[in-house]
Amino acid sequence: MFDQILFILSAVITMGGALAVVFSNNLMHACVYLLASLFGVAGLYATLNADFLAATQLVVYAGGVVILMLFAIMLTGGVQSTVNKFGIVKVPGMGNAKTYSAAGLAAVVISFVLFKILKNAAAMPAKGQMAYESTVEKLGGLLVSDHVLAFELSSILLLGALVGAAVIARPRHIKDDV
Amino acid sequence: MITLPSYLFISFVLFICGLVVMIARKNIVAIMLGIELILNAAALNFAAYTKFINQNLDGHIISLFIIVIAAAEAAVGLAIVIRFYQIKESIHIDDATQLQS
Amino acid sequence: MDYTVMNVAPIVLLPFFAFVLNSFIVKRFTTLAVSISCGAIFGSFIFAFRIFKDFVFGTYATDAYVHKFFNWIDLSFGAEIFKINMGIYIDNMTAVMLLMVTGVATLIHVFSSWYMHDDARYGRFFVYMSLFTSAMLGLVLSDNLLSVFIFWELMGFCSYSLIGFYYEKEAAGNASVKAFMTTRVGDVFFLLGILALWSVVGSVTFVDIYAAVAAGKFEGVMALGIPVITVAAFSLFMGTIGKSAQFPLQVWLPDAMQGPTPCSALIHAATMVAAGVYLSLRAYPLMEAAGMLPYIAYIGAITAFGAATIALIQTDIKAVLAYSTISQLGYMVLGIGVGSYNAAFMHLITHAIFKACLFLAAGSVIHSLHDPHTHAGVQEMPRMGGLKNKLKFTWIAMWCCTLAISGIPFFSGFVSKDRILGDALLMALSNKWYIAPTILGFFAALLTAFYMCRMMFLTFHGQPRDKEVYDHCHEEHLTWNSNVPLLILSVFTLGIWFSGSLTGQGLVKVAGDRYEWFQTLIHEPVPAKFATHRRQQWGSEDIKSGANFPRASYDSNHGLSEEEAHHVHHIHHIGAIMSIIIAFSGVFLAFLMYVKKSVDPGWWVSTFSGWYKSLKNKYYFDDLYIGVLIQKGLLPFNNLLAAFDMGVYDRYAVDGWATVNRVMYKFARWFDDLIVDTVAVDGTGASVRLFNLVLRTVQSGKIQFYFLIIVFVLAGYAWKLVIN
Repeated sequence: MFDQILFILSAVITMGGALAVVFSNNLMHACVYLLASLFGVAGLYATLNADFLAATQLVVYAGGVVILMLFAIMLTGGVQSTVNKFGIVKVPGMGNAKTYSAAGLAAVVISFVLFKILKNAAAMPAKGQMAYESTVEKLGGLLVSDHVLAFELSSILLLGALVGAAVIARPRHIKDDV
Repeated sequence: MITLPSYLFISFVLFICGLVVMIARKNIVAIMLGIELILNAAALNFAAYTKFINQNLDGHIISLFIIVIAAAEAAVGLAIVIRFYQIKESIHIDDATQLQS
Repeated sequence: MDYTVMNVAPIVLLPFFAFVLNSFIVKRFTTLAVSISCGAIFGSFIFAFRIFKDFVFGTYATDAYVHKFFNWIDLSFGAEIFKINMGIYIDNMTAVMLLMVTGVATLIHVFSSWYMHDDARYGRFFVYMSLFTSAMLGLVLSDNLLSVFIFWELMGFCSYSLIGFYYEKEAAGNASVKAFMTTRVGDVFFLLGILALWSVVGSVTFVDIYAAVAAGKFEGVMALGIPVITVAAFSLFMGTIGKSAQFPLQVWLPDAMQGPTPCSALIHAATMVAAGVYLSLRAYPLMEAAGMLPYIAYIGAITAFGAATIALIQTDIKAVLAYSTISQLGYMVLGIGVGSYNAAFMHLITHAIFKACLFLAAGSVIHSLHDPHTHAGVQEMPRMGGLKNKLKFTWIAMWCCTLAISGIPFFSGFVSKDRILGDALLMALSNKWYIAPTILGFFAALLTAFYMCRMMFLTFHGQPRDKEVYDHCHEEHLTWNSNVPLLILSVFTLGIWFSGSLTGQGLVKVAGDRYEWFQTLIHEPVPAKFATHRRQQWGSEDIKSGANFPRASYDSNHGLSEEEAHHVHHIHHIGAIMSIIIAFSGVFLAFLMYVKKSVDPGWWVSTFSGWYKSLKNKYYFDDLYIGVLIQKGLLPFNNLLAAFDMGVYDRYAVDGWATVNRVMYKFARWFDDLIVDTVAVDGTGASVRLFNLVLRTVQSGKIQFYFLIIVFVLAGYAWKLVIN
């Protein structure tokens, strides 16, 4: 029962957040809706017996990525932003009818294809549901045994991303070429 | 009720939303929001398949990596956005037509 | 010996190649070109001599012939008729003719190398001469009327070119046109005759025509109510009339003397004009079957007599020779007309030799004499006289020829002419229609002897009438190549070369029957023999069956019974005696008039002043043709045609065509503007612009657009995967 309530709640939040991201006119709002959607996904992970994933989702996205996004928005929103009737700074470039219709066309086409694919996938016989147990230990074991190479590579990737982000975003003093 | 198709449907909605955002938005940061949505849709699928089909946690591992990569991507991408904004005074995607200023 | 391409074709081709080669090199290497021409014709002479040796001294039967041909045009649909063959036909007559033509042509070429040497167009003369010789030899070798006609026209062209050789002179230009146009009348008839024969026989080969005559193919074939054979024979004889300058169409030959004298000797005395007679001889069975012989006899006699009378009063040395040529050709035609085939051909050969010699001698005289003021050659006999002291060899040669043409015994002219006149007399005594031609023939013989001797006396004897000209005579210019040909030719004016007897009738035997080779070998074609004639494809081996037949021996009775032969011999005796008397009386009369001066030529002129006037005007033939026929007949017709041309053809056909073209042009322009320019050219631009638009849109540089494309492509790819 709890599972079902959690599932419905998470599904509604996830899809609602995602749709709000699409249709929101305010980038700041969209970012917050994304946060909600990611929370919903974390809830869905929880219904899928993926406790570690759900935790990671919350920590990395909610605590990291979205915050990063918010900062980026705030850092870049100033120059061409306009103020809406509520006095909230609105970041430009939220799309217009033309771009939305193109996107809609693409969405229709893709969904048509995806439906075809997903129909086959949904027809796969389920092996039954996995019993609920903690996955943290098993995942830890897998990460340092079967998937150790990928694990190490991802650490290198993260290091690279860290250094790269710092290097790229470093302010430069443009020399006067006199 | 909690079956594979319902998860697939949710991930489908996420994917479509991300796609639409990526195409419709002209703001680089907004596009990155769409990317996050799509990545989440994929990760959710892996987790769902793990539960209903595979049941051996490999899907979780891959989801985990997706999250990691998404984080890295967000970090680097946002750094680029900020750098771009410093140079062009704009975060409009159509202004991003040159590799070198 | 087999007759193949290798030993027959060179006769024609050597001079022809000389012509082609010389056409290119004559400007720069004139001397070489002349040598090539002379060498080529001498080469032809060698080959011709080989054929002559085979047929005359060889082992061939008397009536042997070689006929080889290949199909040229085939319209037969499988039957053996309506074909045109090209090939060679060699019999005794061809062999003799070939030797005569090549021999005389060689000597004239040699003489020309002297005569034309100082001429500005020295080389070009030999180019024409080579072409002419080639054509003449081709005509002689031809086995059918069509190739005869081709070579005939080729000779006509050469004649035209050589008469107009000094085209700076207006008279020469006019004369060449006159000669060409006059012979054209005959040529058109000739062509009609060929077509008439072809329509009946289905072939124009001589042997086929003979066979058709023998088979009676012509019987009852009528065209417009006239038997076709008459049409054909008449038309062919009209060709002879045109080419051999016979009675109605004789006007061109005297004017043709405007050409250089060697060409007059070769073309207008020895060979080309004889080709007409040669054609009539070839077509003799046809003429005989068509009953044309009396008509031919009349034409010949009228020509012989009329031309001889005109020659009486000519003062130009070449004009005298020209009229004498016409007159002698008239004799040949008379010989055909009285059925004296052999004698006519013999006269053709003898005449060719002595007349060529006479012309060459006249050329020597003209070339040696110069007007001291104008430096032009002197042709007028009143300005000559007494030249025998200066031009010794010329004098000797010319006297030989004069005696020959006058019919003095022991000379060739007597042999042949006496036989013609004897046969004419024989015919006249049996058929009253032949009386008039015979009388005219004898009179012409008298006149011939008279005017030829007159020419000789005026030129070489007596006192020089124009002292200046006499003193400027360049006898030292005469070199070997002017004298040797003359002397060689004059040797062959002796009768002994042609007949073993004095008169040619076997009456007074001088050297015996076996020297009567000419009479033995030359016979008219008997059509019956050709009814089953043998055909030999070109390149086949010769049928040497000729060696199996006994060689014919001379029969002085001509196959007649003893009684008839006696009668014939009797008449021939009379004819021979009359000939001798007439010849000597002509010579004597000339002697009295121009050497003794005991008879005054002026008396004759004043007594027969009307006659003299008409002679002076050449019987008004030129006036008739030019004044009446051309001015009154052809010119209005011409004007009518011109008016038709201008009024109808030009206005409607030409201008109408122009209108049609203009409409088409408008359409084309419209088409060009609309379709080509607008659609094609501008359309190309538009299509480029369209693609430009598409590609420009695609290559927008907008990241999202690329992404959109990627999405669609992925969708399509995934769709493909799912469906399959």
